[in-house]
Amino acid sequence: MTAHEPKSRFFKANVKAALADANIQHAMRSTGPNFVGKRAKARDAMPEFDALRDRARDVKNHVLANLPLYLERYEAKVRDAGGHVHWCETPDQANRKVLEICRRVNAKKVNKGKTMVSEETGLNDFLSENGITPVETDLGEYIIQLRGETPSHIIAPAVHVTVPEIDKLFRDTHTHLPRDRDLTELSSMLAEARTILRQKYFEAEVGVTGANMLIAETGQSVIVTNEGNGDLSQSLPRVHIVLATLEKIVPTLDDAATVLRVLARSATGQEMSVYTTFSSGPRRAEDPDGPEEYHVILLDNGRSNMVGSEFEEMLRCIRCGACMNHCPVYQAVGGHAYGWVYPGPMGAVLTPSLIGVEEGGQLPNASTFCGRCEEVCPMRIPLPRMMRSWRAKEFEKRLTPTAARYGLGVWAFFAARPGLYRAATRAAMAVLGRLGRAKGGFAALPLAGGWTAHRDFPAPEGGTFMAQWAAKRGGR
Amino acid sequence: MSGREAILQRLRRHGAGDPAAVDAWAAAGPVGPRPRQGALDGPARIEHFIEKAKVADATVSRIAGVEALPAAMAAELRARNLPATLRTGSDPMLRALDWGSLDRSEGVGRVEEPATLSRAEFGLAETGTLALASGPDNPVTLTFLGETHFVALRTEDVKAGFEDFWAAWRERGLTPRTLNMVTGPSRSADIGQTLQLGAHGPVALHIFLID
Amino acid sequence: MSPHPRRVALFVTCLVDMFRPSVGFAALKLLEDAGCVVEAPAAQTCCGQPAWNSGDRETSRRIARQVIESFEGYAHVVAPSGSCAATIVKDYPAMFADEPLWRARAEALAGRTHEIVSFLTDVLGVSRVDASCAATATYHDSCSGLRALGVKAQPRALLATVAGLTLSEMKDSEVCCGFGGTFCVKYPDISNKMVEDKAAHIEGAGADLVLAGDLGCLMNMAGKLSRTGKPVKARHVVEVLAGMTDTPAIGEGKP
Repeated sequence: MTAHEPKSRFFKANVKAALADANIQHAMRSTGPNFVGKRAKARDAMPEFDALRDRARDVKNHVLANLPLYLERYEAKVRDAGGHVHWCETPDQANRKVLEICRRVNAKKVNKGKTMVSEETGLNDFLSENGITPVETDLGEYIIQLRGETPSHIIAPAVHVTVPEIDKLFRDTHTHLPRDRDLTELSSMLAEARTILRQKYFEAEVGVTGANMLIAETGQSVIVTNEGNGDLSQSLPRVHIVLATLEKIVPTLDDAATVLRVLARSATGQEMSVYTTFSSGPRRAEDPDGPEEYHVILLDNGRSNMVGSEFEEMLRCIRCGACMNHCPVYQAVGGHAYGWVYPGPMGAVLTPSLIGVEEGGQLPNASTFCGRCEEVCPMRIPLPRMMRSWRAKEFEKRLTPTAARYGLGVWAFFAARPGLYRAATRAAMAVLGRLGRAKGGFAALPLAGGWTAHRDFPAPEGGTFMAQWAAKRGGR
Repeated sequence: MSGREAILQRLRRHGAGDPAAVDAWAAAGPVGPRPRQGALDGPARIEHFIEKAKVADATVSRIAGVEALPAAMAAELRARNLPATLRTGSDPMLRALDWGSLDRSEGVGRVEEPATLSRAEFGLAETGTLALASGPDNPVTLTFLGETHFVALRTEDVKAGFEDFWAAWRERGLTPRTLNMVTGPSRSADIGQTLQLGAHGPVALHIFLID
Repeated sequence: MSPHPRRVALFVTCLVDMFRPSVGFAALKLLEDAGCVVEAPAAQTCCGQPAWNSGDRETSRRIARQVIESFEGYAHVVAPSGSCAATIVKDYPAMFADEPLWRARAEALAGRTHEIVSFLTDVLGVSRVDASCAATATYHDSCSGLRALGVKAQPRALLATVAGLTLSEMKDSEVCCGFGGTFCVKYPDISNKMVEDKAAHIEGAGADLVLAGDLGCLMNMAGKLSRTGKPVKARHVVEVLAGMTDTPAIGEGKP
């Protein structure tokens, strides 16, 4: 099984492994609070923040309502600038298009800026299988590529990897350097990676990046980074390929500004990321640098089926990661447990949308509906509502586990019959109350193993409120 | 049917879109909320630009007129213990200056560039951001390959926020292949979740604000 | 001037009805002290949230119709639970998106339904209670009450008037305790991790009493504290506000 094959259906087993993994637990303890605090600070420093979120939501809603028009207009602008747009319906088509371009220019090495869409298509494995070496240049992506892993966070892909692990990884991989070199300082590790990747930037014939936005007004693709790796990946090779999905469109430069104003604040708490680059077409005749070819691969992979569905609002997502940074479930288990490309609340909605509810159906169930994701989402995506919609789809398809379905049926039978309900609860609570009264709770209870494995079950006081009320007030 | 047609057809099942609404949207201009921090004027705007650039770990010095740039540049290189060499584009403003003993070469960025100098078209006071237009005068690689990146910016080109920046950008008729918005030197927190400056791009960013 | 007496229906909630009737009586006392005439309609069972959150939309609507019918005719419906109140306020109208008549009835009920502490402060204008409790308490913000209904300052304001009570804020009081209704039995391992963290924060606040506005969260936290031998008691916030703390705390044995 390759790193990119979905493992979402093993969610429960993945969770057990993640909870037992000391490194993941260590990483989660330090990162989550860090992101949360920085975002809160950025929000508090910006009185207009919530109004900007409303505007950002409206911008994307307008785009989604007019998506075919915007895609055509965007495409025309890219062509005007001398670029090429390739429409791909499936991940496989997108991978093949990249390969076709690479083969045509005789490319042996492909440098990659950070692109989650390429994780969706499994581009790295595909290129490797076809004799082309993909090199991840984002530092976090580089680390996990060396480890043969997938990202565990959409903006901090190596967040689960500890410093000692990176130390060992670099010694095992960068074997041209003395084994006993001093890597005590974090800065020495950074310098080492910088030196090695700096050389690689000049070796690749093709650079692949993602896009944070595609601007219909100008035909520009926009990437937002802090490291500068995306820019080196797209400026130095002969060919730049932008891998982007349909919903990345924004109408105008002014709309791009609205999105930028909420993006970095939500993601890292920065007011602006370090590099925000707007690119259009290949280098001009008079340009001394930049790629000679500029291609945009416009991938659908299920998005067009989400438009008009109860999951359409998910297409507003700008991949800031705020939902997972604030999600107590993500913070407990980390990103790999989710088993595919997108973790956390946004992944819990996207995964079943993109690879099917049979594979990803557990993810929208693994939420307490605490609502923190929706509270912080810069695009005001109703994530809990959509997770609930997935649960309803599973229920309709009878994918809900039999025991849960049966339990729900029994409970509903009584809940809909107040007289019977009253008698049954009264009898049950009388028994439970008597049994548990002395100790106050139960260390084990039949049918409640999930609860009592980890905590006591508090005993009822004995006698229901409604029975006592009826006795006191003579009933009504 | 081509992938293009298949995708568009699926999307059109839920409506082909309203061309009038799309045109009206573009014509409406910047109607979103305007943050107060991106609406400052006069000296307060410049002060805010400097403050925000510093928050983003850039350094800033103000110089009186472009003629003072070579001397200021030489002083900065000395202070940073850097060799007196500099890589620039063929920007006429930079070309016209007398660089004295400074070893200035023109061209694209090479694999190791201790110091590069670019010229920014505009600054944004809102976030301390520089806006650079790529082209023969301003190779894009100089922005990313310099160990220390120096940027010259005219004080009069510091705009308050995105709204007037885009307006000025359009008015100047700029359509470069890339617009690079730069806010501080490059950084990464991918090792040990500890922020370090100088990931792949510059370790330091210095702005000469030219009055 | 005391508030005008109003006819209020108490939505007891299934957990309070079954596990801790004393919360219902504490709520009753607070409402009556504030001048309300309180009834507990006999046809009530559950708000239907377990079905709604399990994706069983048909059962949810069946139960919601029953609740809507039982609680029509009251000026206000009040529940000692932010979670159940939020189901009525936020979810019922959504359940009937395609049934205009029921939707109107659901919206009418939603407009009259309140979580108890915010009802006391925001609707009845109660600003202090006549109660005492010698304890250092910490307050957990249950998710639905906090995010769906904006319950945050209200319980703290009233707790500040309880004689002898010191309120000590815990770290991450707004982070979920891991109960989540059926979540805690569907995903016990994650739930356990969350309640472990919560218990540590409660302990870190130096509290001997943890308070919240939802019995589900309280049973979860109390169960964890008791399993790990922590001497922290758990009570619903209305028990303290009503001065009814002579009963054993949640999960505490009777001497």
